[in-house]
Amino acid sequence: MNNFILISTGILGATLTHFVSEQLRFGAVKASALLSLIVGLFFYAFPNVLNIYLTAHLPIVFVGTSFIGMVSSKTLKSYTLLAIAGTLFTVIYIHKNNVFDGYGGALGALAFMALLTTMGFGFLVSNYSKIMRKISLVIRKVFNSES
Amino acid sequence: MRKHKAIRFLMVATVLFTQITFLTMIVNAQYETNTALIIGVLLILLTLVFGYKYLDLHHEDYAYEKIAVVIWVPIGSVLCYLLNANAGLGSILSMGIVGTLASFAPSLNKKSNYLKEIPVSIYCGAFVGMSSVETSPSIWFALAAGTLAGFFFMISKNLFLGVGGKLGTMAFAGVITATLIYSVIA
Repeated sequence: MNNFILISTGILGATLTHFVSEQLRFGAVKASALLSLIVGLFFYAFPNVLNIYLTAHLPIVFVGTSFIGMVSSKTLKSYTLLAIAGTLFTVIYIHKNNVFDGYGGALGALAFMALLTTMGFGFLVSNYSKIMRKISLVIRKVFNSES
Repeated sequence: MRKHKAIRFLMVATVLFTQITFLTMIVNAQYETNTALIIGVLLILLTLVFGYKYLDLHHEDYAYEKIAVVIWVPIGSVLCYLLNANAGLGSILSMGIVGTLASFAPSLNKKSNYLKEIPVSIYCGAFVGMSSVETSPSIWFALAAGTLAGFFFMISKNLFLGVGGKLGTMAFAGVITATLIYSVIA
């Protein structure tokens, strides 16, 4: 259940930040910082609303995925891909086992990784037929040169 | 021209190396118990390399951020560190306060182009200041890591345009480099 809540938070963090940044025209920095401030203040004021695990990790996941939502609409328009990136971020975060805990920028680096992987995946899917054609061309060339 | 090309290559290679190191350390922490994680990380690495090769992430022109803008990175780092470590507000709240205040800087003078560029620098610095006391033992460390992050921020001006997490990656590169230097000196 905890993981489900974290993944939902990850999706919300990425999409909500992007919405506030692009649709409400707050700009990337104000959208991310303001939402992070609201989440941070909430957990600072009410540390016992959720269980210990969620109180410790939920704000971190929200802030981390808000960095994903800072992506410009020129680079990424799809909210589906943003949600996938948010999910990927959260899954890696859950499994990262205290690696680079306490290192400033680690969340941003993780967000960057999740977003770039999702963008690569999106490119792969949208150019699937072209890529498969190229691969089959390479295979044909290899087989022809062997025979 | 060759110098600019070399700097660009070095920056992209540093970012890729940082990401590979990050993922390798995650696998290293639990490779005996989690086979699915290893497969997942391998897939992420393959997609990442594919993304680096085929996605249009960089501007063709070589350009560097102005020193007058970059100087705000270590300032943001120190401000966030003071709130985080000295005032005990915690990393998330400190970063939120510094970032939100910085985002209102352009409102001071709406005609000023300089003020419009400052929030991004300060926010990048705030990520450095999120470091824990164990990682960043003093304000001087935060200042040094912020300066290094500022350097990475400066040379990556036309790289990874509009990609979320870029600022955090520059901050992370600064903190990691400062930690490496600190461990050699100490």
